[in-house]
Amino acid sequence: MADSNTEIKTLGESLRQRGVSRRGFLKFCTATASMMALPPAMVPAIAEALEKARRPSVIWLSFQECTGCTESLTRAHAPTIENLIFDHISLDYHHTLQAASGEGAEAAREAAIHENFGKYLVVVDGSIPLKDPGFSTIAGISNLDMLKETVAGAAAVIAVGSCAAFGGLPHANPNPTGAVSVSEIIKDKPVVNVSGCPPIPTVISGVLAHFLTFGGLPELDDLGRPKVFYGQSIHDRCYRRPFYDKGLFAETFDDEGARKGWCLYRMGCKGPMTYNACATTKWNQGTSWPVESGHGCLGCSEPDFWDGGGFYNAISIPDGDIARNIGLGAVAGVAVGAAAGMLNRNAKADAAARHETVTVDDLEKTS
Amino acid sequence: MSQATLERGLNALREEIDAPVAAFFSSCVNCGLCAEACLFYTETGDPRYTPINKLEPLRRIWEQEFTLWGRVKKALGLTQPVTDELLQEWEPLVYDACSLCGRCSMVCPVGNDIAYMIRKEREGFVASGNAPEGMKGASARAVKIGSPMGVKFHAVQAQIRHIEADTGLEIPVDVVGADYLALLSSMEIMNFPEYIEALARIFKQAGVSWTLCSEAFEATNAGIQIGSSDIAAELVERVVKGAEKLKVKYVISPECGHAYTAIRWEGPNLIGRRYPFKVVHILELLDELRVAGKLKTQGMDEARLTFHDPCQIVRKGGVLEPPRNLLKQVAANFVEMSDHREMNWCCGGGGGVSANERADELRLKVFARKKSQLDELNVDKLVTACANCRLMLEDGLEEYRVELPVVGLTEMLAEHLVEDNE
Repeated sequence: MADSNTEIKTLGESLRQRGVSRRGFLKFCTATASMMALPPAMVPAIAEALEKARRPSVIWLSFQECTGCTESLTRAHAPTIENLIFDHISLDYHHTLQAASGEGAEAAREAAIHENFGKYLVVVDGSIPLKDPGFSTIAGISNLDMLKETVAGAAAVIAVGSCAAFGGLPHANPNPTGAVSVSEIIKDKPVVNVSGCPPIPTVISGVLAHFLTFGGLPELDDLGRPKVFYGQSIHDRCYRRPFYDKGLFAETFDDEGARKGWCLYRMGCKGPMTYNACATTKWNQGTSWPVESGHGCLGCSEPDFWDGGGFYNAISIPDGDIARNIGLGAVAGVAVGAAAGMLNRNAKADAAARHETVTVDDLEKTS
Repeated sequence: MSQATLERGLNALREEIDAPVAAFFSSCVNCGLCAEACLFYTETGDPRYTPINKLEPLRRIWEQEFTLWGRVKKALGLTQPVTDELLQEWEPLVYDACSLCGRCSMVCPVGNDIAYMIRKEREGFVASGNAPEGMKGASARAVKIGSPMGVKFHAVQAQIRHIEADTGLEIPVDVVGADYLALLSSMEIMNFPEYIEALARIFKQAGVSWTLCSEAFEATNAGIQIGSSDIAAELVERVVKGAEKLKVKYVISPECGHAYTAIRWEGPNLIGRRYPFKVVHILELLDELRVAGKLKTQGMDEARLTFHDPCQIVRKGGVLEPPRNLLKQVAANFVEMSDHREMNWCCGGGGGVSANERADELRLKVFARKKSQLDELNVDKLVTACANCRLMLEDGLEEYRVELPVVGLTEMLAEHLVEDNE
């Protein structure tokens, strides 16, 4: 947590005070530039910008969530520069991490809104229930009201995790709380979706670094996700892809194919339809990632991944009650077909009724 | 007197949309394979002659008035209507550049009967007054005079007198209770009277009871060609009445392609009732006589010869083997063309093209296909079984300066007949 009483004002000073060398800092800048697909010429610009970056105020709102996203960011391993950047921001309000409680906590949030109006960032994890405001409240304030009130003065909103980005697990069928994503409520501010269950920590720090460096948000895909991290599918970047191309598949978790590291597609890997950076950044400081540890991708960074059929069903297997859906489809099809058939039969019958017998005397256009 | 109008044309197109048409248009994958099957495309390279493209007016009516999306698009003003200008533009594609030969229907990978649809589409062209002048004239003559070439029965009588004088045979006319009623095409009456003589000689030898009918001698049906079911039905009715009056058991379709389609396949549907007689093609009858041992011939024609399959008789009529069986009885050196039987190439003059003077230039140009087929074989004689094909082949060969006699199969058989009672 950043201490609001410290004299340190810029990121450079903050990092040096924590023992990060200039060399280490530049390495981070280079990695960030390449991660975001920026040209090498941008590295000095990133370094300079980060060096001088002012502490942005960040208000973190947690709604219907499991705290997994926070865990992902604050997980216990040797401190990284990502952590330090995270430390550098002025995180003025965060349920899990803040020391204050009760009225003091809410007062901190209101103070941050007031002091940095129009400039602060709002990070949201968790979905917002719309059915009954009582389903999730903080200090007696419903999630919806708190979100609207907090976002009113924000520069931008970062929806962290699939719950905030797309509704996530609370949104799963039958969605008992009427959970919705941030972007379904916030229409007048830029919203960046950093999806994943949880999202990759580097991706969150990357978005923050982008905001600090360029003062704006990165380019987004059609689901509001930063293209630099979500631009390619897991499948296209997967080291097991050559086995897919050769048609070599593991059929069970303990067969020869599984031991040889063949493609996990038939065991339900959702890699082909999932856009995320797992295959390149990996997890736990680049140690491994799901597919590398022998389990197919669940597709957690895609909308409604909970409702996409069984995790162990191959993508080609349709989800839902197939017999019922086909039955309903057939009934609807027959009904529409019969109606269309009647309509066409009438059109043809009308035409036949209007038929005037053609004789050789009326083959010319003008009589 | 009423007149042809666009509204009548559009109405006729609507009437022609049936389940097969809807299925065919829905199934078309725009592969363009039909283009390569059409001699009007292969010999000109003009993509407008792609068979499925010739159906654009009918396709628009189907899409705009019989499909959900088409109706939505029409409501939103996203469709182009079928106008008189469109029909005028398409008229040469539908009449000059289509002989209804049906070869395109054979190659369609999704099984679309394109020729069936063009026949239907012509109904709309006729009703809107967009049919070629040549075919309008032929239709008027067929209905008013009795034959598309303006031939009256006294012309037939004149030919009968000649034949009777030459051969001493009697040509029966209006014989009530005969087994077979023979029809003639006006081309046979005017250009190839040898056919009538051949019939008389073969039937005499085989002991077939037959007759001509003074009120129904014409087999051709201009209504089928121009594409008017009303006119076609009137002409079919004429034959049916004649046959009923003479109480015959069979009606013989002559060596004419579309006549067979008209009287055998479309006829009962056109008049809406069953015939009290059966229809046979002359080649089918001759093959039956051959099998029964009643068609005795002698000697073999030593010339290297080939057979041109008339589209309507072979591809669309299904008379594939009879001409071969018959030819082998009298020809020692019979060779098949490269594409034969149901995949044969049209002479270029079917489906009314021969009656449409405007199409002459195009017809002779696309005859290059038939010429190249013949060039491969180096034959001395060409046999066929359709008077219209025969005339078109002679015309085409003359245009390309090829010396090659063209004969009718019936007449060739008659030449080899054993006339043991003489």
